[in-house]
Amino acid sequence: MANELLFFMEVLVGGLLAGTMYSLVALGFVLIFKASATFNFSQGAMVFFSVLAFCGFMQDFNIPFVLAFILAAFLMVVVGLCTERLVLRPLMNASEDTVLMATIGLGYVLEGLAQAAWGVEVRRLDLGIGDFPVPWIADNLKLFISALDITAGLVAAIMIIGLFLLFKYTKIGLGLRAVADDAGAASSIGIPLKHIMLLVWSAAGVVALVAGMMWGARAGVQFALVDLALKALPVLIIGGFSSIPGAIIGGLIIGAVEKILEVYIGPFFGGAIEGWAPYVLAIFFLLYRPEGLFGEKIIRRV
Amino acid sequence: MSDNSVNILDIKNIEVMYDNVILALHDVSLKVPKGKVVALLGANGAGKSTTLKAVSTMLASERGKVTKGSIDYDGNSIEKQNPSQMVGLGMVQVLEGRRCFGHLTVEENIISGAYSRKLSKGDIDQELEKIYTYFLRLKERRKSQAAFTSGGEQQMIAVARAMMAKPKMLLLDEPTMGLAPQLVAEIFNIVKELNQKEGVSILLAEQNTNIALKNSDYGYIIETGKVMLEGTAESLLNNDKVKELYLGISKKGRKNFRDVLKEESLNKKIN
Repeated sequence: MANELLFFMEVLVGGLLAGTMYSLVALGFVLIFKASATFNFSQGAMVFFSVLAFCGFMQDFNIPFVLAFILAAFLMVVVGLCTERLVLRPLMNASEDTVLMATIGLGYVLEGLAQAAWGVEVRRLDLGIGDFPVPWIADNLKLFISALDITAGLVAAIMIIGLFLLFKYTKIGLGLRAVADDAGAASSIGIPLKHIMLLVWSAAGVVALVAGMMWGARAGVQFALVDLALKALPVLIIGGFSSIPGAIIGGLIIGAVEKILEVYIGPFFGGAIEGWAPYVLAIFFLLYRPEGLFGEKIIRRV
Repeated sequence: MSDNSVNILDIKNIEVMYDNVILALHDVSLKVPKGKVVALLGANGAGKSTTLKAVSTMLASERGKVTKGSIDYDGNSIEKQNPSQMVGLGMVQVLEGRRCFGHLTVEENIISGAYSRKLSKGDIDQELEKIYTYFLRLKERRKSQAAFTSGGEQQMIAVARAMMAKPKMLLLDEPTMGLAPQLVAEIFNIVKELNQKEGVSILLAEQNTNIALKNSDYGYIIETGKVMLEGTAESLLNNDKVKELYLGISKKGRKNFRDVLKEESLNKKIN
């Protein structure tokens, strides 16, 4: 019995921590959704682009880890700048659907650019953190938990605290929240939309880089990272498209539920239900709580 | 009222089109003297909001364009400006329907108005205190989420937010829409006070002709995108046609100025 409970705990904790990896990807979506009410289809491509650039800097030019990270983050700010200038500003007065279509196009451009610049082969990314159980925890708590998962959890926690402080206590954060509520009213009092867009796309780019590094270390830096966007979708539906805590909690829920279902219910379906169980959960949310757990409710005065 | 230095706003014969096809304003000319309150009156769809948006340059975001005429603010043409530049020049529009940031607190809403100014935390607090002296009611509710305040409070938030930008000129678009008579009076008292104590010039679009004229220096009446009548607020209040068409003291079945003009030209022909 004690062993069963221990096993369940291991599945649960492992799932939760793996879930933070989804949270990291979902965070980037939330940032952009808040400012422009658009689902950014190019977020997956941004993950791929940024981490491939990071690997390229490190492996092709032998740039040290920290410097390569700074360079890649800077590159993502440049990508944000170009996106604002070349894509968003000309579409300033276009409908949200038009912007949505533009993000799909932007995704293809980024994928193409990344592969043209750094090649198409799968790269190994070694962060110096192994994807195997931490011996200390295995010995003392009898839980087998991957060091990479723990790192991802810590990184996600730091990022959410940082973003929370940025939004709550800085001037540009206030501007962002104002734009998220009513872009027209924000521009009527002189909040420059282009600065806000630039901030949001740059922040989403850096978040994409961090998410990409975590996933790259686990699964290799490869084109399949683009499809991470699809994994983030149920996370967003459950957490709410406009909520940063929602992205984190949504990721945790997806991570835990998919692991538990896989282990306990999977055998009845012949296994591998991990791949589709999150979407089933998402459908239930769409039916009964479409704004997600933490999504901003549409406040209506009566 | 012809000297530019006397008029903070000078609109000359503008025509406005939406989407290159819909003609919203035919011919609107209008002046706002420095430090005065000017009312722009007319029914729904007459072109009041369009006129204000032409001035604040917010037309572009609705695919509208000034196709003829000129608009001078503080002696300079506004043709090449965008909304945030206009705010920098001291012209702020309070949009129709209040448009508060619902998820922000009352105080955050007001502070967001100072976004375009480079103020320290201390300066902002000082400005806030000054603003609260005009909007006592908002001070009590400073920590509430704006979406949960009443319609009158939201209107006050919108005006207070605009005042944080330290405007020389305010454009108010139907500030009393949907408010109870008592609140309408309260809002107008605040507007009047801001005008007198802060020296803000005001261009006010209203459907509520009576109270708007009572609180203004000068008035313009527009119909279907054209100025039909203008004059001092007093003269408009005593004008028989205004009384009949806008103040509800009706004699015949005439509905607007076009009917009046038609009748007059008919009478001329008969005579």
